[in-house]
Amino acid sequence: MARPAVILVGADKGGVGKTTVARTLLDYFGAHNTPTRAFDTESPRGTLKRFHPAITEVVDVTLIPDQMKIFDTLGNAEAKVTVIDVRAGLLSPTLQALNDIGFIESAKKGQITFAVFHILGPSIASLQEIAETARFVGDASYYLVKNHINETSFFEWDPATYNSYFKQIKGAEEITIPKLNEMACEQVEVASVPYVSFVANKNAAGEAANYSFVLRGYVRHWLGNVWSEFDRVKLVDLVSPKAESNVRQVAG
Amino acid sequence: MSFRNSITIIASPRPRVGKTLLARLLTDFYVHEGRTVSAFDINSGDGTLAEFLPGQAAVSEIADIQGQMALFDRLVANDGTTLVVDLGHESFESFFALADQISFADEARRRGIAPAILFVVTPDQTSIDAYRSLRSRFPQATVTPVHNELLGPAQHRDKYPITGSGAVQVKLPALAHGLRRYIEKPPFSFSEAQLANAKDIPLNVHIELQRWLRKIYLEFRELDLRITLADLQFTIKSQL
Repeated sequence: MARPAVILVGADKGGVGKTTVARTLLDYFGAHNTPTRAFDTESPRGTLKRFHPAITEVVDVTLIPDQMKIFDTLGNAEAKVTVIDVRAGLLSPTLQALNDIGFIESAKKGQITFAVFHILGPSIASLQEIAETARFVGDASYYLVKNHINETSFFEWDPATYNSYFKQIKGAEEITIPKLNEMACEQVEVASVPYVSFVANKNAAGEAANYSFVLRGYVRHWLGNVWSEFDRVKLVDLVSPKAESNVRQVAG
Repeated sequence: MSFRNSITIIASPRPRVGKTLLARLLTDFYVHEGRTVSAFDINSGDGTLAEFLPGQAAVSEIADIQGQMALFDRLVANDGTTLVVDLGHESFESFFALADQISFADEARRRGIAPAILFVVTPDQTSIDAYRSLRSRFPQATVTPVHNELLGPAQHRDKYPITGSGAVQVKLPALAHGLRRYIEKPPFSFSEAQLANAKDIPLNVHIELQRWLRKIYLEFRELDLRITLADLQFTIKSQL
C-alpha cells in the first residue's frame, strides 16, 4: 500500500498567503490524479474550505479529537495525500504537537512521508521563526516558500541573514510563488472556486461560467509557473513511493 | 465567404510600413463584402485607423489589465463580427507576449474563430526574427507576409517563408504618387458611396482609385480563401 503523505502548510504570521499555496497544492495533486484531502485549521470558518469544499474539513489542531480525526485516519483514508493548512501562529505549536504524538518519529522511520511548506512573509521577522521550527522538523522535507502573489515590493531580505537561517534546516528547498495580477487574484476570490476551475471557466457547481478570458489566461500562466516549481522539487515523487514510480517507468 | 469568423491582426515591429493603410483597406473590404466589421486601433499619434474609420474602429489600450480585458475578451467573444486589429509597432511585442501568455490563438480556435496575422515584410533582421517567432509561437494562426510595393520591388520571399496552410503572399500595390493625397485625410472610407460622392476627387483619379482597390480586393479575396482553407485544415487535423 502506498505510504501516506502529510503536507503541512504554515507560517508564523498571517497574511503571507498560506491558503493560496495550499490551494495550488490541492490543484496540483488533483491534476496528477492523486487523491488528496485537506484540513483547514481556520476554525470555525475556513477559507480553504470555501475553495475546495468537497475535500476539505475544518478542524482545530490543538484539540485532541481533531488530531485523532487527522492522524488516526492516515493509514486507512482513501486519500494518499493530506494537506493541512495551519493557521497563522500555529506552525510551531502544531509541530510540537506532532512531536508529542510520535508523528515525527513515524516520519523518521519512513512510515509516513512528511513535508512542511513554510510560507515566508516579506519581512525578516518571519525568518526568525525558521530557527524555532527547525528543532521539530527532523527528517521532513522542508520547503521555504517565498510567496510573491500579493507582493508589489521586493522582499526586504539581506541575503547573508537569509542564508544563515536557511542553512539551519538540512536539505531545505526554496520555492518561489510568482506574482499574480491583482485583478485576476481578486476575481478568483470572488468566484470562490479552485484555480483550475477558474482556468476551465467553470463555477463551483461545475457549470460553464463567464470569467474574463484575459484573467483566465493570467491565472493559467501563473498556475503553470507555480506547478513547474512543484515539478522542480519533485513533489509528486515525494508523495508517491519511489518503488512504485520505478515500476511505472519500467512498464512504460 | 468564410464559414466562420476571423480575426486579422495587422502587424510589424517597424513604423511607417503601411499597416494602417492595410487595416483601412481590409476593414473597408469586409464592409464591401457585406460583413459586420469591428476594428481595433492600437496606435499612438496622428492618422490612426480610428480617425479614418470612426464608424468601425475604436481605440484600444493594452498597457493595463482593464484595456487588455476590454480588447481580448471582445476578440474572442465570437458574436458574428469580423475583427481587424491595427497593431502599432510600439505595442507589437507586448501584444504578442500577452497573446502568447493567455493562449489567445488556442482560445480563438476553440471558439470557432480563425486567427490570422498579416505581417508587412521589410528586409531588416528585427522584422525577419519577429516573423519567425510569430510563426513558431502561434502555429494555430495563419501568418501571412504582406509585400507593400510602396516599400520597394523586393518581395523578400527568401526571408519570409510561406510554407503551410497560409501559403500566400499578399501584395499591396502602390498607389500612384500623385493620388495619395486624396486618401490621406481622415476620416476617409474606400466605400464606393464615399468615393463617388467625394467632390474633391476628379473623375480620372476616381477611376484610378477604383482600379487600385479592385487589385487589392482581389488579393484580399485570395487571402480570405486561404484563411478559410487553413481553418478547415486545422479543424480536420484537430478532429483526427
